[in-house]
Amino acid sequence: MTGITELSESELRELRSSVRDFLEAKSSEEAVRKVIETDLGYDPEVWSQMAEQLRLPGLIIPEEYGGDGFGQVALGAVLEETGRALLCSPFFATVVLGAQALLASGDEEACAAYLPGIADGTTTAALAVSERTGAWDPVQIETRALRRGEGDAGWELTGTKSFVIDGVSADLLLVIARTTAGPSLFAVDRGAAGLTAEPLETLDGTRRMARVRLGGTPARLVGTDGAGGRLMARILDLAVTGLAAEQTGGAELCLESATAYARTRVQFGRQIGSFQAVKHKCADMLVQLELARASAREAAVIADKGDETAFAVAASAAHVCCSRAYMFAAAENIQVHGGIGFTWEHPAHLYFRRAKSSQLLFGGPHAYHERFLERLGF
Amino acid sequence: MAHDTHADAGDLASFTAEVRAFLDAHAPGGTAREDKAGTFVWGKGDDRMAYFSSDPPEEEQRKLEEARAWQRTRYENGFGWITGPAQYGGRDLTPVHDMVYNAIEAEYDVPDTGVLSVVGLGMIGPTILAHARDEIKDRWLPAMYRGEAIACQLFSEPEAGSDLASVRTRAVRDGDAWVLSGQKVWTSVAHHSRLGLALTRTNPDAPKHKGITAFLVDMTLPGVEVRPLRQMTGGADFNEVFLNEVRVPDDHRLGEVDGGWTVALTTLMNERATVGGDNGGPAAAALTPERLYAVLRASWTLDDRAVRAQAAELLADVMATEHLNTRALRGMRAGVTPGPEMSVAKLMYAQNLTCAAHLVTDVFGPRAIADSGEWGTYAWSELLLATPALRILGGTEEIMKNILAERVLGLPKEPGIDTRSPFRELRRSGTGEGAA
Ligand SMILES: Cc1cc2nc3c(=O)[nH]c(=O)nc-3n(C[C@H](O)[C@H](O)[C@H](O)COP(=O)(O)OP(=O)(O)OC[C@H]3O[C@@H](n4cnc5c(N)ncnc54)[C@H](O)[C@@H]3O)c2cc1C
Repeated sequence: MTGITELSESELRELRSSVRDFLEAKSSEEAVRKVIETDLGYDPEVWSQMAEQLRLPGLIIPEEYGGDGFGQVALGAVLEETGRALLCSPFFATVVLGAQALLASGDEEACAAYLPGIADGTTTAALAVSERTGAWDPVQIETRALRRGEGDAGWELTGTKSFVIDGVSADLLLVIARTTAGPSLFAVDRGAAGLTAEPLETLDGTRRMARVRLGGTPARLVGTDGAGGRLMARILDLAVTGLAAEQTGGAELCLESATAYARTRVQFGRQIGSFQAVKHKCADMLVQLELARASAREAAVIADKGDETAFAVAASAAHVCCSRAYMFAAAENIQVHGGIGFTWEHPAHLYFRRAKSSQLLFGGPHAYHERFLERLGF
Repeated sequence: MAHDTHADAGDLASFTAEVRAFLDAHAPGGTAREDKAGTFVWGKGDDRMAYFSSDPPEEEQRKLEEARAWQRTRYENGFGWITGPAQYGGRDLTPVHDMVYNAIEAEYDVPDTGVLSVVGLGMIGPTILAHARDEIKDRWLPAMYRGEAIACQLFSEPEAGSDLASVRTRAVRDGDAWVLSGQKVWTSVAHHSRLGLALTRTNPDAPKHKGITAFLVDMTLPGVEVRPLRQMTGGADFNEVFLNEVRVPDDHRLGEVDGGWTVALTTLMNERATVGGDNGGPAAAALTPERLYAVLRASWTLDDRAVRAQAAELLADVMATEHLNTRALRGMRAGVTPGPEMSVAKLMYAQNLTCAAHLVTDVFGPRAIADSGEWGTYAWSELLLATPALRILGGTEEIMKNILAERVLGLPKEPGIDTRSPFRELRRSGTGEGAA
């Protein structure tokens, strides 16, 4: 991708603070708790405000498709904020996964068909890749695509996809299915025949997942037939870079919450933050956060420079660092809070759930270790 | 120093060209290597990865002379003290120029000047510049940056380590001189040093931070006795220094009488910057993916799942630590004062090397505990033995975490640390008694 509009440091700061202000108003803890209980899993009102007031769905979509054409650095700044606020929103599935999958496919016709709707917030998307085991491995793709008619639109998909983020609510499903040429990317409309989606119970209520069944469902080929394996790798690099930013934001909030409590809670006649066991926990969280932030932000910088090899390494390294940092910060935040941190009413568990679900989202530690090592030539 | 950290891009580009021209012409090992890390080949070259020297004396002496000669060449070509004032042989440039120079020089084969630069030029020089009288600066700074006068840091004592403000070495005024008596310990490079920056107690009746005075001690004066201390690696890079009624002229005092703590803070600030930015040195080779890959292959652990997981976590941390340094440097170029990045980088440098040394020795097993003669195996034991020091020197891991928690996160200070009572009433190790 070329032609990225770069943001200056001050524009970037401005973007961060306007997103933070918006989320403080729209994604308070109370709002998050409320929306978690709904069937949809997000507040459609907030989603349309994100589109209309902040133009966020179009952030990284090129101008020719109705977006603003920014890059990974800008996207990362937004995702650090949505991660901090535990925003429940189609943003991750629609933009980080869906829009970037379309762009990565290089299919101009498909981009022209779908991206303008995504950019203006009227279309939400989901990316259906993993199946039974949840792995992002081209070899494990069993869903089949058969050609039934002429042209890109003449395909039918059959199979079952699992762990599909926002798979129930999305208007557009982007599905990896196997043709005789290998794994390939397809687009399926929500109303298509033979398509059903059932919600899965999730550890983390802020991120909805679904099982999606396709039974002879009409689909349109996106990009080149058989190019899905390579595409999956590219999309995953972008996805984990976005995720790393979210994780950084979440870890940052956990650290702030722990230190704020450590400054005010008094036991044995002193603030618990003056006990070194507590103080050092917080310092360890800070170290983890600094590593996470540096690795996430630098991966985005490298992506925007267009150095694909270096980006693949940096993205997979950020995936390792940020997954660890967030999980560590979320767990230690509860420990610093003591009993109150273990209550349903305290937000700490929401972050704990989100940290674990983020860590395991694309396969978990074994998968991300191996991915990173593979990129280093191990 | 009233340096602006800002350096504009055009200026840096011409500086970079100038540095390359200088190194191409003068680096003893010739022109820049293609890619230092990329040239690593298992079984080729020196397999040592030492943090401390363990050379026999003649070899150590030879390396010292090489280091001095290289520093002199730098100095004569305007790269001996990039951030220093022109008046003392410096270039009046910014810390960013300094970092740029170091990054480029790392691509060349040049002598390691750590013995001069880490303590003397990196920490003591800036302290002299900030606090000494003009005659003293004139006399010593050019000599130091020309590679002639090596300087050491006479801070730690048997009773004052982390709690540095508890130094007990006495300095008593006698006419226009002071008489220093006491013992310093863990003093790196004292055995090569012409100068030492000593913290002394001049007023035991004041609270501990308020009765300290700093002196620049000529190590050739009568009464200065340096005794090497053998460290756990087997070599002797640090020393005990005994000061037996050493007469130091008052013009060699740095800062005010009883104002030595301010002087010490300048040194410590420079120490953190020096150690935090330390991603080079011979030990850095231990942290490259190429080297670790070769180790896993040579130890038949390339398909060991647990080992691979550890290697991935380690290498991700190494990369994140590099990113921290890159981002701090980029920020400085844009005029932003670095935040906690440097302190975090220092902690991580120690942790990464420690983690690497254990991972590698673990996979080599017996080949790491006995020298079988196989290239690149037993060599790691030398690095392993150095790693405990990295968590102690320049502020222990625990002290660094206190600093991060208190200064960055705003957590409350340790209660019960007495900064008010007169020094002589404070408790000391092994007794319940006062200090004086
Ligand atoms: C290789 C090497 C080179 C050195 N070179 C020099 C040099 O050139 N010049 C010089 O002056 N010094 C030098 N030092 C000394 C170094 O600065 C001290 O060793 C260090 O500051 C610790 O002091 P200490 O050894 O007295 O340990 P102590 O301060 O006695 O510490 C012992 C343990 O107690 C912990 N501890 C102490 N206080 C606290 C606290 N408040 N909170 C939590 N934990 C605490 C420490 O973290 C440590 O784990 C060097 C040390 C080494 C290892």
